Amino acid sequence: MMQITFKINGESITQEVKPALLLIDLIRDHLKLKGTKPGCLEGECGACSVIVDGEAINSCMYLAINVNGKEVITIEGLGDHENPLDNVQEKMVEHGGVQCGFCTPGMVMTTKAYSDKCKKKGITPTREEVKKSLEGNLCRCTGYAKIIDAAEAVYEN
Amino acid sequence: MDFEVINTTTSDELLKAIAANQNSNFRIGAGFTDLINQLKKQNTEELTIINIAQLKDEAYTQIVEEADGLRIGTLATASDIVDNNFIRENYPVLHQAASKLACTQIRNVATLGGNICNVSPSGDMTASLIALKATCHIVDCNGGERAELLSDFIIGLKKTTLKKNEIIKNITIPMNDHHNIISGYEKVGSRKSMEIAIVSLGYHIQMNNDGTITDAGVSCGAVAPTIPFATSACDFLLGKDIQDLTEADKEEFANKVMEYASPISDVRASEWYRKEVLFNLSQTIFS
Amino acid sequence: MEKELKVIGKSHRKLDGKERVSGKAVYGHDIELPNMLHGSILRTAHPCAEIISIDTSKAEALEGVECVITADDDVYDVNNISYKRDHPILKKGTVNCNRDEIAAVAARTKEIADKALQLIEVEYNVKKGIYDPVEALKNEAPQINEFGKGKEQFGNKNMAESFHYEHGNLEEQKAKSKVIVKRTYELPRVTHACMATSNITAEFSPFDGRLTLWSSTQVPFLYQRDIAHALKMEPSKIRIIQPIIGGGFGSKLDMHPFEPICVLLAKKSGKPVQILFSREEEFVLSPTRQPMVIDLTTGCDENGKFTFREVEIIKDNGAYTSWGATTPFVMMQSYSSLYQVPACKFDSHAVYTNNPFAGSFRGYGNPQATFSIETNIDLMAEELGMDQSEIRLINANYKGEVTGQGLHFKTCGAIPALEKVIDESDFEKANAEPKGDRYKKGIGLGSMLHVGGGAKIYRSDGCGTVLKLDDYGYLTIITGSNEIGQGSETVLAMIAMEELGIAEEKIKVINTDTDVKPWDVGVHASRTSFVAGNSLLGAIKLMKEKLNKKAVALLDVVTDDWEYADGKMTFNEFEIKIDKVAREMHFGTPHELCTVNYFYEPPSKFQDKDFKGDVSGNYAFASQAIEVEVDTVTGNVEVLNVHVSQDVGRVLNPIGLQGQMEGGLATGIGYALTEEMIYENGELKNPSFHGYKLLTATDMPPVHFYPIETYDEAGPYGSKGAGEAPLIPTAAAIANAVSNALGVTFYSLPITAEKVLRALKEQKEKNKEVLV
Repeated sequence: MMQITFKINGESITQEVKPALLLIDLIRDHLKLKGTKPGCLEGECGACSVIVDGEAINSCMYLAINVNGKEVITIEGLGDHENPLDNVQEKMVEHGGVQCGFCTPGMVMTTKAYSDKCKKKGITPTREEVKKSLEGNLCRCTGYAKIIDAAEAVYEN
Repeated sequence: MDFEVINTTTSDELLKAIAANQNSNFRIGAGFTDLINQLKKQNTEELTIINIAQLKDEAYTQIVEEADGLRIGTLATASDIVDNNFIRENYPVLHQAASKLACTQIRNVATLGGNICNVSPSGDMTASLIALKATCHIVDCNGGERAELLSDFIIGLKKTTLKKNEIIKNITIPMNDHHNIISGYEKVGSRKSMEIAIVSLGYHIQMNNDGTITDAGVSCGAVAPTIPFATSACDFLLGKDIQDLTEADKEEFANKVMEYASPISDVRASEWYRKEVLFNLSQTIFS
Repeated sequence: MEKELKVIGKSHRKLDGKERVSGKAVYGHDIELPNMLHGSILRTAHPCAEIISIDTSKAEALEGVECVITADDDVYDVNNISYKRDHPILKKGTVNCNRDEIAAVAARTKEIADKALQLIEVEYNVKKGIYDPVEALKNEAPQINEFGKGKEQFGNKNMAESFHYEHGNLEEQKAKSKVIVKRTYELPRVTHACMATSNITAEFSPFDGRLTLWSSTQVPFLYQRDIAHALKMEPSKIRIIQPIIGGGFGSKLDMHPFEPICVLLAKKSGKPVQILFSREEEFVLSPTRQPMVIDLTTGCDENGKFTFREVEIIKDNGAYTSWGATTPFVMMQSYSSLYQVPACKFDSHAVYTNNPFAGSFRGYGNPQATFSIETNIDLMAEELGMDQSEIRLINANYKGEVTGQGLHFKTCGAIPALEKVIDESDFEKANAEPKGDRYKKGIGLGSMLHVGGGAKIYRSDGCGTVLKLDDYGYLTIITGSNEIGQGSETVLAMIAMEELGIAEEKIKVINTDTDVKPWDVGVHASRTSFVAGNSLLGAIKLMKEKLNKKAVALLDVVTDDWEYADGKMTFNEFEIKIDKVAREMHFGTPHELCTVNYFYEPPSKFQDKDFKGDVSGNYAFASQAIEVEVDTVTGNVEVLNVHVSQDVGRVLNPIGLQGQMEGGLATGIGYALTEEMIYENGELKNPSFHGYKLLTATDMPPVHFYPIETYDEAGPYGSKGAGEAPLIPTAAAIANAVSNALGVTFYSLPITAEKVLRALKEQKEKNKEVLV
C-alpha cells in the first residue's frame, strides 16, 4: 500500500492505495464518485476523462499513485452552490448534446479543460479545432454535431 | 493487474532503482498509456514498476533549443511537443506526428521515451524522429553515457539496443534551416482520429536557397518490423533541384522507398494495401 | 392540423438533461446494493466443441467466491430462451459459438470472480465448425443447433427461419422490362457499441420468491415474460427497474443468457449479484446486425417505370435464433413497397452456423435491403441513360397509395423529400461535375420507407398511461414507454405542457418500474413518441373531461370549451387555477382524485399469413443526398455533406429530432465506411474500440436536415416515428456517391480504403487493356 495526498474537487484528502490501483477505480469505487464513466477501460473512448492539474486525461489509463500532490477535478467538481452547473454543462444541455448521456461527463471534462486552456491563452478556437479537441471522446447517440455546437458555444460572449 | 511500485523523483533515485532491480522483473512507467493495457493482458507475477511519472530532472523533462539543434527530454509528452512553437516551425514532421497521435487525453500523458521504447512499427513520434535523424542519449545505472542514432537503436520488432541497466535520458535533433524544408508526416488510417497508423510516411527534406536538396530524411511506419530510414530514397534526392523533379523522378523515389517495405497482413490492412499506399504516398510529398 | 401550438414544434431541452450532464444520473454501472456480489461468466474457449468435463472445484475453493454454477447445478431448473427457444442458458454437452456460457461465478469482488473463472477447468473435444451459411445448408453438414426445427418446418435441418412473400405477376412484369439488373450484395456484421456496456443487478427474495432486476432492457414487459419463462417463474413476481440506459439501438430487445444467469447466481448465493460487461465482452457478446447475402434482380420499362423485384436472401443466423431472425418483416416491406413496385417476390432464409447470433439493430434489416435496392436503381438508370434523380421521382411513393403488400400511405412525403435533397444538394450539377484528380468528388441518392406508427408484430402494440394531477397542481405522467436516451420522455412532457398548460417544473415522468407503470410493448420500431404520445393524449382527454366537469360545477357556467394555459382553466371571463379544481374534486364532491388511466392500441393490423396488411399506424419516408470525396492515394472516403429530408409527419421537438438525425447518420456512415466485426472461424478479431471503428468527432460531416410535415392524423399532432430512419438509406447514398466519384460500383459494405484502392487498380488495368 502507498499513501497519497491530493486534492479532489477542491478537497484535500489522504488515502492508502494499492500501487496498481487505477485512478478510475479510486474515483468510482473508493471515493464513490460515480459520475466518471467506465466506457472501455482501455483509453479508447474518453468516457472516464477527468482533469488532473488542468489537463484532461483518461482516468482508466492513469495510476492513482500519480495524482499524489496534484489536483483532480471530476464531473462532480464542476459548478458551485450558486450555479450548480458549469457553463460547459449548461451549453451541453441547451444545445442538445446529451442523449443517453453515458459519454457526457467525459465530453464535459474534456471541453472544460480545453476551454479553460483557450481562455488562459486568450484564443477562440475554430470549429475544426473544437472537433479535434473532442477526438478522444466517442459517442454513439448524437453524431457529435450537437456536442460540438455546445462546445463552440462555450466561447460565446 | 498487480505490481509493486518504486517512485522516483530525481535521476539519482531513478538510477539507483534500476541498479537495485537488475536481478528482478521490472518495467519503467512514465505515461502508462501503453503499459497499463499490456500489463492487464499479461498477468505477470512479481513485477516491479519503476515509476518516473513524477521525475523532476530537467534533463529528462525539458525541450531545450541548443546551438546545433534541439534536445527533447524522454518525459516530454506528446502535448508538450505539439504545443512547442520551435518544433512547429522547424520540424513540422515531428509536430504533425505528435498531433496525430491518439487524442488529447492520451497526448497529455504519453511520453516521447515511452513512444520510442514501446518500439511499435507504427509509433508516430518515433517515425518522425527517425526521419529527423535523431540521436538517443542513454544513461546507465553506473553513470555511463552513450549516444546512438535512433534508427540504429531500434534493431527489430519490439527490440532495441537498450540494456537492462539503461534508460533514455533525452534525444537530440540536428538543426536545419526551416525556410527551405519540405517536412511532414502522413498517417493513414480508416478514420481521422484515434488511429494507429496502417501506414505512415515521415519526411524532412532540406534545400539550400537555390532549391537544391542538401539533406533528406524519410522513414516509413507500419510496413516493416522496424521503422526503416529509407537511405537509398534519400540519397536519390541529394543534389537534385526540388523544382526540377519530374514525374519519373518521383516514381523512382517511391520505388526506392518501397525497397524498405516488407509489411504483413493483419486485421487492420493487407500487405498489398500497405505497399500500394506507401507507394502512392511517396509520390505525393513533393506536390 | 391547423391548431396554433405553444410548446409542440419548438425546441425543448432534454427533460433530465441536467442530471445526465452533471454525472448524477444513475446507470446500471453505478448501482451498489448492500452485500452485493459481482458475477462473471466463463465462455467457451472454442466456438465449436464437445464439452468433456467441467471442474469448478478450484474456483469454489478460492477465498471470496460465494458460488459457482454450471448447467448441472440444482439451481439450474430452466427453460431454453430466445425467439425460437433454441438457446440453453448455460451450455453442457456441446458449445456452438464463441459466446457460449459454460459456468458462472459470484464473488465478493469483480477481481476475485474473474480470477475464479481462470481456475475453472474445462476439457473440450474441439470440432471443425461451420461458419458459412451456404456450407451449413449442404446435406453433409451436421445439425448445428440440436433444438432447431428446420427439418420439420423448412426441409433443412440447419434452416432457422424462412419467409416467402409475393405480389403481382412477376413473369408479366419481367416481359415488360426493358432493363433488368441482377446483382449480389454482401452485408457485414456490425454492432451497436452502446457507450455503456451491458449490465444487470439481480436481487431475489427468499421470503416471497420475488425477484427485482435492475436491467437496461428496452422492452421491460416482454422481458419480464421472457425472464419468467426462462426461470419458470410467474411474471408478476418479477419487478424490472430500469436505471438510466446508456444506449440501446435495438441491442436490448432480446433477453440474453447473462441476465437469467445473474438471477441464478443471486438465487444460489442468497445475495444481490451484479454483472457488468467489459468492453471486450460487449463486442463479443452483444448482438449484431444480420450479415447476409442478397441476390436482387430488378427491372424497369423503357420509361424507367419499375416493373418487378425478385430477391433471395441468405442470412447468417448464427448458432441461436434471436429477434433478429424476424427482420424480413421489415425487409420485405422495402422490397415490396419502397417506390411503386408492380410485382415482387421475396425469399429469405436464416441459416444456423457456428457464428455468434445476430439481434435487432436500429433499422431492423432495412439498411441492408435499402442498400441493395438503391444501388440497383442507379444501375438501371445508367443502363437506361436516365437521371438518377428522375428515375426515383417517377417511381416514388405517393399519398393514397396502397402497395402490393397492403401498406396504405394515407400521407406520404416521399416526393417532397426527394425533391428537397435533390434541390438543396444541387444534385444534377454535382452529379455531372468533373471529379477531380487525387481527390475525387461524388454525390449519391438513397431513399427509404419505414414504419412510422409502430409495427404490429406482437399481439398488442399498445401503451398505457396513468395520469395524476395532485392537490398542488403537479402532474405525474406514469407511462409504459421507455426512455433510452432518444428523448421521448421530453416529448411526453411537452405534450402535457401543451394540452394542460402546466409548467415543465410541475411535470414528472415516471417510466422505469414495471410494478408501477402500465403495459407497453417496448422501445422499437420508432414507435415511442407515436404510441406513448397518443396514449398520453388519450389520458389527457379523460382528465380534461373530469376537470371540465368540476370547473363547470365550481364556476357555475355551462361549457366544454375550456382553455388550459399557465396553470389555469379559462372560459371567457371565467378562470380558475387547475390545482384548485383538483383540490375541490378531492376534498369536495365527488371526493375523487384527479387520476385517470388510458390504454392506446394503434389502428394498425396484424398481417395475414401472406404477410399482407397495413402493419403500421403510418409510414415514414426519407431521402438523403450525400457528397463524398475519395482520396485515390489512400482509398479513404470522406463524407463532405449530408442532405437529409424526412417525412416526420410533424416536428414535435426540433432539437431532439435533429439529434436523432445526426446520431442515426453517424451510425449509417460507420456502416457504410468503417465498421465491421472481423470474424475468422467463429472468433472475433477486433473486439475493442480500437479495432472496431466508430466515427469520431473529426469524422462527422455537416448534416443539413429538412423535415417534411405531412400531418398524418394517426400520429400525435400529425407526427410519425422518426428514430430509425436516418441511418437506413445512408450506406446506399454513400455507395452511390462513391460510384459517382470513381465510376466503380461497390456491392459490399463497408467500403474500406482497401476495397477502393483495389477497385481503382482493376479499373486502371482495364483501361490499359482497352488502350492496348
